[in-house]
Amino acid sequence: MNIHLYLQLNQKRMRIRDVNKIELVKEKAVELLVEVGFEGFTMAKLAKLCSISVATLYIYYKDKDDLILQIGLEETKKLSAMMLEGFDPDFSFADGLRHQWKNRARSMLENPLSCKVIEQLKTSTYQEKIFESMSETFKQTLGVFMDKAVANGEIEEMPMETYWSVAFGPLYALVRFHTEGHSIGGRPFILTDDILWSTFNLVLKAFKK
Amino acid sequence: MEINGSSVLLFKTNIRTESDKQLMTQLMQQHEINHWTVDQDDVDCVLRIVSNELQLNDIIALVNQHGYQCEELT
Repeated sequence: MNIHLYLQLNQKRMRIRDVNKIELVKEKAVELLVEVGFEGFTMAKLAKLCSISVATLYIYYKDKDDLILQIGLEETKKLSAMMLEGFDPDFSFADGLRHQWKNRARSMLENPLSCKVIEQLKTSTYQEKIFESMSETFKQTLGVFMDKAVANGEIEEMPMETYWSVAFGPLYALVRFHTEGHSIGGRPFILTDDILWSTFNLVLKAFKK
Repeated sequence: MEINGSSVLLFKTNIRTESDKQLMTQLMQQHEINHWTVDQDDVDCVLRIVSNELQLNDIIALVNQHGYQCEELT
């Protein structure tokens, strides 16, 4: 084989291996954070879970704080992107809210561990650094969407907190019941499309003028 | 080991307390070592230096001279 081609391929293979390694580190870090929390999390435990040396972790991350921050930022970015995928602030109110329900339900149900880590981060000292950038993105799209619905006369004017609680509170409650496997009083619960969309219709009715 | 074309030097140390770290800050400034961190959360107090000029042994000698343990993290 031509030596240049060989080197090129070899380089490519090495890069792929590194990318895989970083992905494994991220995946296992999320698992470990959920399992043991921030206090119990150590670089040594993570390295062991990934079957790599502690030194390898320190190549990519400065310290435990840096690692948690980087991974927290990526997880929130990933979930925010899923929540906003295909969303257009110019949607009608009903279509936009339906789209939000679909995206949010999917992102939460497909990424239960990421959601748990994000919840942990929200009550941690990392909170400010991680959620600052995210809230700006949401304000620009979902804030505009709500303001437009008010301006078009589709919904009443209301505090943002009222809007959010009515719009998404029921969805988050249903997803939590589902993730925990039971609802009020320990009743077994699985979230079906029927339940999801009939709840959505009630929410929509609540907003109707 | 390298990241983005720069060498990352890693050491196990006993730079454990805030005053240890302050001393280390002075030392690094004196030697114009700008890209360094020490993970005091970790049991090995890992010292991490990003540099293309410095060698492992330079750092080990420098830190040892000031009474701290320092060995390569493998």
